[in-house]
Amino acid sequence: MDNPLAGRRMLVVEDEMMVLLNIEDVLADLGCVSVTAAATSARALELIEEQVFDLAMLDINLDGKTSFAVAEALAACGVPFLFSTGYSDYDLGEAWRDRPVLEKPYTDLALAAIIERLLPAARPEPVMA
Amino acid sequence: MPGRAYVSPRMAHNPKADEQERAETEVDDFRRKLGPFVVAAEKTRMAMVFTDAEAEGHPIIFANDAFLKLTGYGREEVLGNSFDEVMAAGAEPEALEELEAAFDGSTANDPVIRYRRRDGSEFWASVFVSPVCDETGAVVQHFASFANESKHRVEQASAKMLIDELNHRVKNTLSTVQSITRQALRNAADPAAIRESIESRIFALSRSHDLLSRKSWAGVGLHDLIEAAMEPFGVINGRKERFTIDGCNVRLPPKATLALGIALNELATNAVKYGAFSNEAGSIAISWTIEPSADGERLILCWHEKDGPPVSAPTRRGFGSQVMERGLAHELDGKVSLEYRPGGVVCSIDIPAPADAAGG
Repeated sequence: MDNPLAGRRMLVVEDEMMVLLNIEDVLADLGCVSVTAAATSARALELIEEQVFDLAMLDINLDGKTSFAVAEALAACGVPFLFSTGYSDYDLGEAWRDRPVLEKPYTDLALAAIIERLLPAARPEPVMA
Repeated sequence: MPGRAYVSPRMAHNPKADEQERAETEVDDFRRKLGPFVVAAEKTRMAMVFTDAEAEGHPIIFANDAFLKLTGYGREEVLGNSFDEVMAAGAEPEALEELEAAFDGSTANDPVIRYRRRDGSEFWASVFVSPVCDETGAVVQHFASFANESKHRVEQASAKMLIDELNHRVKNTLSTVQSITRQALRNAADPAAIRESIESRIFALSRSHDLLSRKSWAGVGLHDLIEAAMEPFGVINGRKERFTIDGCNVRLPPKATLALGIALNELATNAVKYGAFSNEAGSIAISWTIEPSADGERLILCWHEKDGPPVSAPTRRGFGSQVMERGLAHELDGKVSLEYRPGGVVCSIDIPAPADAAGG
């Protein structure tokens, strides 16, 4: 099976531990072995400075604060990302309105579909001998 | 109060002076015939204006004290001036259209306006517009009254905020339950074990919610949280003497309460299955202290089991250890060590102390 996440490095910004453990599980099932997690925007920004990510997933609300600063940093480095949120009536504002959003709770399939859309042909082509 | 200026002196040289004079005469007639009603209109706490229907822009020929108080204008600033302009100074274009429609009778809807006063403050009001006709049925004036709905609006906004927040919590809780279910299915094959694993964690969540609700989600004492978490494991009846809690009742914020509630449930479940509570002799000591550090005070909590059956480290890390070592450390920005010592499990949790820890 094609696996858009194989060999990809993913950043997950999520402050609730149980939700994070679930995401890590789903991502592992999708073949993503490199998942780095941050519970706060500050930590996520540090990680973005230090490491290169292929994809990121951001909970919009981190203990009452938005993760938009992280979205800005990711956009500046050209890293594709998606939002997740427990709010039904969220407002991403002008800047992020066209970014994909997963409303909690969501299925593995919904997450996989967005990831595939964000990482379409970017998968390295197999090298022919 | 005869002689009181219902028309601004500034209006004397207005090109529409004749009309103004006529309107003024009409109000004076009105006043003579309906004296007590005019006094009532002046004094009522509902904001009211009369406008002239026969002049452009609906000039205001009467404004009561409540209208001046509501809008923040002086009487001389509104009398004789166009009602449309007075409204345009603070209301939004859509509201002005609705007002226009109410004046020309093309709608039966009462406009609701948000009006920004000169000082930047705002009010919300429903505006009720009624035509005043003469004997022939021609509309000569309009009467507009304003029901102030600012308080109602504030209440509505706060109710909406509470509902949004509740919805957010419910969705996060459902995601947590989704995670619990997934883990249970991953780690066990026996339906009874799966059910027990799911139920135990859902009940742990439920107990933490009860504690938080009782405190209006303002936070829960650590001592209270531990007692509630251990209660279903028979600590209150029977195992109580084998269990000690030692530390001040530090108040934890809701997030830490929920996370620690789940973590304590994992530790206790493990203790009942394999640890100090799986025989008749074992005991568990939970103690904590608040300690200073370079980056602020830390809450250092220790779960210490002893005299249980000999412990060997599990061959694979189950969900309990994942929650403790990975989840809790992540969510509470701390360090968690879970050691399967031969004499008993020892877990130490080192997290930033809650802001009002000192008061506990």
